[in-house]
Amino acid sequence: MTQRKGGWELPISEHELTRLTRDLDQAHQAYLPVMNTSAADLVEQIREQQHGGPAPFVPAASRRRVLLGVGGAVAAFALAACSSASSSKSAVAAGASSGAGAGSTAASASSSSMYTGDLQLVALATALENQAVGAYAAALAAAKAGRLGTVPPAVATFATTVMAQHADHAKAWNAVLIGAGKPAITNVPLSNQPLVLKALGAVTDVAGVAGLALQLEDQGAQTYLFATYNVTSPGGIATAASIAPVEAMHSAILNFVLGQYPVPDDFLPVDKAASPSLLTV
Amino acid sequence: MGQERIDTRLLDELTEQSQDLNSDALRITREALEDYTEQAGQRRWWQRGGTLAAMAGGAALLGTVRATAAANSVDVMALQTAASIENLAVSVYTTAAALPFIKDGNKTVAAFITKTTAQHTAHGQAFNAAATQAGGAAQNNPDPKYAAIVKQTLPSIKSPADVVNLAITLEDVAAQTYTRNVSQVSSPQLRKLFASVAPVEAQHRATLLAVQALLAGGHPELIVLPPDVAKLPAAAGSVAFPDTFYPTKNASPVSEGAVK
Repeated sequence: MTQRKGGWELPISEHELTRLTRDLDQAHQAYLPVMNTSAADLVEQIREQQHGGPAPFVPAASRRRVLLGVGGAVAAFALAACSSASSSKSAVAAGASSGAGAGSTAASASSSSMYTGDLQLVALATALENQAVGAYAAALAAAKAGRLGTVPPAVATFATTVMAQHADHAKAWNAVLIGAGKPAITNVPLSNQPLVLKALGAVTDVAGVAGLALQLEDQGAQTYLFATYNVTSPGGIATAASIAPVEAMHSAILNFVLGQYPVPDDFLPVDKAASPSLLTV
Repeated sequence: MGQERIDTRLLDELTEQSQDLNSDALRITREALEDYTEQAGQRRWWQRGGTLAAMAGGAALLGTVRATAAANSVDVMALQTAASIENLAVSVYTTAAALPFIKDGNKTVAAFITKTTAQHTAHGQAFNAAATQAGGAAQNNPDPKYAAIVKQTLPSIKSPADVVNLAITLEDVAAQTYTRNVSQVSSPQLRKLFASVAPVEAQHRATLLAVQALLAGGHPELIVLPPDVAKLPAAAGSVAFPDTFYPTKNASPVSEGAVK
């Protein structure tokens, strides 16, 4: 058993914790090659749809740009979260979803966007993943600075693990954008981002962070559900289908942490899905 | 486990009873089914056109009709297999709920089993309704592959942890199968149906993985709503979502639970 500074005893052995962590990492590593292959297929499909020609050359530096992009989003969050503002508990819901959800807005998304067709939803997905990465990073930074009070170990582990998964999702989607000859999404070009930052700056405890995170996870899962029947490329459909359950699992644990039933819906709805019109690029 | 050995006749009875549960499931899925009906109607019109053209000797169009028929066959089989997985899940959860260490055990676990049974019933009804709309038969039997595994496993179930382990297996198979089905079915409406159920099964699995970790850690008292978050082990924050992208390597083939 591990004894923490505050006198709390970890109700699981170090050995068990190490084993679980190792299993988690192995599963993560095992799936990445599959994901890379899937992303490559998706790039090819989108390229065929859009250009009908040979693949644009993707410089090696582009991959580094993708990785830096996630870091850039985190930095932006860290800065913004330091500037406290009034609370807005429904910031994500109010800013991310129209009353009718994404379903009614896909066709009306900005026609001037540099991302069109399937790539518009890919760009939206990337931005949402960056938004989530930044939010968890800001929350962890706030916790480290003591601005959230006592942070339970399970919550810290949750934020760290989930942030890494969202970063991997963002990398996968950015690889698709770059492969299709489009700029990677290196920040959070979403019109609801100011509201999210405002809400993040106002949270003062773990429950507040969990509530905001739940909004982001619900938004993510439902946006991917929307994508499964609104994108046309098989690779895009498969990728969205493989991420939606993961975001939903995050939501389940956040609901549990908040004392709410972890599986509230018989069928995942789309009323909280992000609208493609949120994109500002 | 001796006196708690499961009678397969009881399983059949419970399966039949479970089919009467959750009467509002059809209401919940009405929107998706209406969409699907509309889409199916369009396909029938389109098929009529193809048939007329084929009668006139259009070999290419005949080939298209065959391709469409094949796609419909995949749709129906996928829906029937999904229903068979749901039927099995309902049967297992219903059986588990009656076990003394569940019925008289942790109230949160018992409540989860009740709610999850109702959700699987709703899923099964939705899949069967869609299969019927697509011109197939409803599947009222359990998935044969996993039914055999369950039959083999049930006698060895002696604790809540055993129930949770078996349930995790079934939820994962369901989630993986539907995740793959999203890419296999022929219409956006069916993609939406499968993609709206897969995350729910994944959430069942996530919850069960967390419960499994708490049971393995010897802390069933932490399985409660609302939880004492401060006492949850650090691992509880990560064990519930072991995959960054939901895998499909263990997905059931579309033919596995199809009506023969």
